Amino acid sequence: MAGDPRDLPLDLTPPDPGRRPRQLTRKTDPARESALQTALERLSGGIERADTPDGWVTAVRRLPARDAQYAPFPDGIDERLREVLRARGIEQMYTHQAAAAEHALAGRNVVITTPTASGKTLCYNAPILSRILKDPSSRALYLFPTKALAQDQLAELHEMSHLLSQPGELEIGVFTYDGDTPQDARRAIRGKAHAVLSNPDMIHSGILPHHPRWAKLFENLRFVVIDELHAYRGVFGSHLTNVLRRLRRVCQHYGSNPTFICSSATIANPRELAEALVEAPFELVEESGAPRGEKFFLFVNPPVVNAELGIRRSYLSETRRVASEFLKRGLQLIVFAQSRLSTEILTTYLKEDFAGPPGTADTIRGYRGGYLPQRRREIEKGLRDGAVRAVISTNALELGIDIGALDVCVMAGYPGSIAATWQRAGRAGRRTGRSAAVLVGSSAPLDQFVLRHPSYFFDASPERALINPDNLQVLVDHVKCAAFELPFTTVETYGRHNVQEVLGVLAEQGFVHCTTADGGPDEVGQWQWTNESYPADAVSLRSISSDNFIIVDTTRGADVIGETSFTSGPSTLHEKAIYLLEGALYQVEKLDFEGRKAYVRQIDCDYYTDAITYTKVTALETFDTQAVVRSHGEVHVSSRVVGFKKIKFYTNENIGSGELDLPEQEMHTTSYWLTLPREVMAALPYAPDDRRDGVVGLSFAMRQVAQLLLMCDRQDIGISFDGISTEPGAPVAEEPRIYIYDNYPGGIGFSEPLFRLHDELLVRTHELISGCGCERGCPTCVGPDGYTGPLAKTVALRMLELLIASRPPALDEAPPA
Amino acid sequence: MSSLADRLRGVLGGTRPTGTPLAPAVPVPATKNLEAVAETLGGEWHEERGHRYVVVDRSFAPGYRHGRVAVADAMPGTDGLWPRLELLLGPRAGGPAPREASPFRPDESGAGQLLFVDLETTGLAGGAGSYAFLVGCAWFAGARLHVRQFFLSSFSGEAAMLAGVARLAERATGVVTYNGKSFDLPLLDTRYSLNRMSLPLLELPHVDLLHPARRLWKDPEFEARVPGASSCKLTSLERTQCGFERDGDVPGFEIPGRYFSYVREGDARPLEAVLEHNRLDLVSLALLTGIVAQKLEAGGPAASSAREALGLGRLLERGGRHEEAREAFARAAALPGRADITGEALQALALSFRRARQFDEAARVWAQLLNLEDCPTALAQEAIESLAIHHEHRNRDLAAARGFALRALELGEPMGRRQIEHRLARLDRKLGGGAGPRPPLF
Repeated sequence: MAGDPRDLPLDLTPPDPGRRPRQLTRKTDPARESALQTALERLSGGIERADTPDGWVTAVRRLPARDAQYAPFPDGIDERLREVLRARGIEQMYTHQAAAAEHALAGRNVVITTPTASGKTLCYNAPILSRILKDPSSRALYLFPTKALAQDQLAELHEMSHLLSQPGELEIGVFTYDGDTPQDARRAIRGKAHAVLSNPDMIHSGILPHHPRWAKLFENLRFVVIDELHAYRGVFGSHLTNVLRRLRRVCQHYGSNPTFICSSATIANPRELAEALVEAPFELVEESGAPRGEKFFLFVNPPVVNAELGIRRSYLSETRRVASEFLKRGLQLIVFAQSRLSTEILTTYLKEDFAGPPGTADTIRGYRGGYLPQRRREIEKGLRDGAVRAVISTNALELGIDIGALDVCVMAGYPGSIAATWQRAGRAGRRTGRSAAVLVGSSAPLDQFVLRHPSYFFDASPERALINPDNLQVLVDHVKCAAFELPFTTVETYGRHNVQEVLGVLAEQGFVHCTTADGGPDEVGQWQWTNESYPADAVSLRSISSDNFIIVDTTRGADVIGETSFTSGPSTLHEKAIYLLEGALYQVEKLDFEGRKAYVRQIDCDYYTDAITYTKVTALETFDTQAVVRSHGEVHVSSRVVGFKKIKFYTNENIGSGELDLPEQEMHTTSYWLTLPREVMAALPYAPDDRRDGVVGLSFAMRQVAQLLLMCDRQDIGISFDGISTEPGAPVAEEPRIYIYDNYPGGIGFSEPLFRLHDELLVRTHELISGCGCERGCPTCVGPDGYTGPLAKTVALRMLELLIASRPPALDEAPPA
Repeated sequence: MSSLADRLRGVLGGTRPTGTPLAPAVPVPATKNLEAVAETLGGEWHEERGHRYVVVDRSFAPGYRHGRVAVADAMPGTDGLWPRLELLLGPRAGGPAPREASPFRPDESGAGQLLFVDLETTGLAGGAGSYAFLVGCAWFAGARLHVRQFFLSSFSGEAAMLAGVARLAERATGVVTYNGKSFDLPLLDTRYSLNRMSLPLLELPHVDLLHPARRLWKDPEFEARVPGASSCKLTSLERTQCGFERDGDVPGFEIPGRYFSYVREGDARPLEAVLEHNRLDLVSLALLTGIVAQKLEAGGPAASSAREALGLGRLLERGGRHEEAREAFARAAALPGRADITGEALQALALSFRRARQFDEAARVWAQLLNLEDCPTALAQEAIESLAIHHEHRNRDLAAARGFALRALELGEPMGRRQIEHRLARLDRKLGGGAGPRPPLF
């Protein structure tokens, strides 16, 4: 299944020539090439070999080198810009840059899917700067998902605009505008900026509500750049769509109609996502013309130490071993860890192994959110100039921060999605010569599935990014903001729902008031904002509801150290819960549910806690159903945290538990559900308890696969069943149900796609369970032994086989291998 | 499935804004009672391009008393302007403006006019959704104080109302507000921008009386005694400076709610009190401006307390009247007051002398400061250092300089220790010509 070298449609390319011209002159370094070769051979037992006998290396793929594809500068690129580019050694553009610039200059919205550092900044900077040179009144707005990315891009754009500015004639102003911008600089920026680099949160709460001050920007807004488009999925994406709806309303008020230029990592549906976010047609540019060197991709699965329980050697230790093979051969690498805690652990390990003599500069560095900006800049620079040999990072370095091109990327744990994995792997890669990426799997089900099915990763298309901008909670919050910014007219539309009805309800609540013309010439009425509040302040783009719990550390005084969303509060901040922050452990001493505060104290312990939540889902309305088995619709979810388990670090042993009494939480959301038809249940030759275990085990496995298919985070979906009881010997309903619901009030758009992907969900779940080497279930397939009964695995598999076999012919697919 | 409206109500459940009464179940036609609004508020309808708004005019006779202060008491000279108010605009580039060009005196045609402005709004946060539903303006003319209020009787009349305000403001050559720098004027700017209009008033010289008021009358002891209270709220100042007590005033936090219920129900009666509140604010603003202007005229000798004299000195200094400022600082130091006020006054006086290159005078004041009982350490430190410098470089009394340098070390402020030791070493070198044992530092 793995091992044969083949070409792949995905790009892993070295950096942009415009950005880092020094890379152009770097020739293949024979010593480095051979060091990489040796390390890879050591790890895989020979690159040309397929799986090693013990299955530790489950895949070795070679992605061949590719030459650059060039195109001449499109006509619209200003001559002055061409000169500046030529001075930097850029005589022509890559094909994708030229195509993107041409679309943008012609006023067509364009989305570019680019591998890491393939020169995407030129895709938008070239048309924008050309336009400003031609018409200095033009303005552009850049949106980055984080402040750090905006800062990173500022340097680049600043240099270009400086070279293009003519003192006294045309000064091209480029500024970041975010929460860190000093108050006294803001006015100057509003007046002088041709390009404003910001983030959606700032647009939402700082710019749109004050649009009259930004009249000059909005009157002349020609381009909006949305970088890292793939970051806007789920809740964040749903909010962004609404922010963009508001942006377009304001632009319309000022008579502008900007062109959107978006860049995205490789996902399955870049155009669909761009069109969903911006709600306008898009051109897609996906063929990268940037060159790339040869690259090897390895999957490493830590060896099994206890086959019966399905326990493997710690993936962190395995990552340490893999990283060492490269480090000791003088190769520069980046290690991605899954959490801040594992980042710190791995940094400690590798520093132990490779620290230089005392007093010498640190060559092994950690990198994560929470480090001060100055320290981060220093590490980034060290990576670019080679002073730092290895960086161990959370996903903080996954997005496009400039760290140059490294030799090797090692990932400790599957990043959770195909797109993110390619994005991280792209951090290693040179224009010429070889690079490598190694994925070390943890024992998490998702990791194990990917490691055992490399073709799922290498050959399937990456995930789809989904959003639901018409989630009512999200929609209502933004309709309020929009009404604050400009009154709605009584004939205006907004989003998919009838906004007039939304405004009617807001009027009932006193937020807006409908005024008809008072004998004046106006034909239509207006909905005026009639509330003292500043609605954007109450809406956080990163969550559905801004209600949250504050975490107060009482170890020394009372410091607020963090916050958690309202929905996940009870399960993570119940009394005696262990709360982790930057490697430190805190125990919750008191949860003030009404006051939304958790009081914690720092402790030293060797376990963490996992809440036990009872969830009941009731179907309210079925939107669609097929052959009894699959349905989706609106549901009512009530859940209550009833207890918790203490889980030991590293071994994941259950070392204790406790009971809890917390208020029930309720929500309406959307859900997909699987109904096990009576024919299937009748065909199962098992006792009621075993059937129940089968349902529980099946849902455990389905959740993992659903997460995989939906490209979502674990907490984005919830699972529940209906028709079975935890009481021993209790009968099982004739047609039990498994619900996989959107874990956000109102739903976030996962249920409908899951309904469509039903067949794949079943086939993949079957693959996951049947491919697992454990005997009676493990955390990788149907849940650990003890979570379900001894026959859970067998029964779950049987259920799947019956379900797959009984699929209606119209939906038939090839049965699983 | 529930209807969209029902689901929305579920989503909004419990998020009803506080302080805003619910709309009646049956929407009231927008035209109801509208004709009565002007009458209820005691004003007149104005109409512009088919849109209407209400203008309420009042004028206050010279004998009208606001507590102890009558309009006539605070009245400027016959031309309606106070020449000295321009000091509050702060230093200008290139020194004090030539007298002829002052915005606070009339030009040859006598058209100069100071406009007092105060808004009532639908929210304090600013942004496009905060309306100025009442624009209150006041000015002195013909020995009277005139108040004109522009009331936004319906949202659609905003552009018309703003045009009316702009026409009145055309005659103004300067504007006075209370906290208008950060609130009223930016909000007006937003409203005009939103309506694609401009207000030349926003480009005029602007005195935000809050700042001088803080200099003159901020009372930290009062604020410490009454938590959350501000000694420089307009209503506090009209009490302390004019002896005026409001009766049945509508609290500020109620104002937006009253306007919103008027918008929904059409009944303007609860707004009478809001207009009255705004008028009182304008009268207080105008009278306090007069008081401040008079204090600037009279200078330090007329100051009623050490704190006020100190504040006056700082205002005069900022306005470039250095001699008068020194007079006020000296007065502040002479009046009985807390040690920190006296200390600050002497410090300000010494610094002013030094800037004027009157070094001996400055040294005299620094010495006076050092002799204060309970002299705050930071001030003492500055005095000692200044005296050490003075004696070393100006007076050439090296022994005295060394004495002050030693005192500075004794004061034990760790911050400047290095420099002091450096100075001591240099003084020792100069004193001993490099020969002889160094005297011990301690």
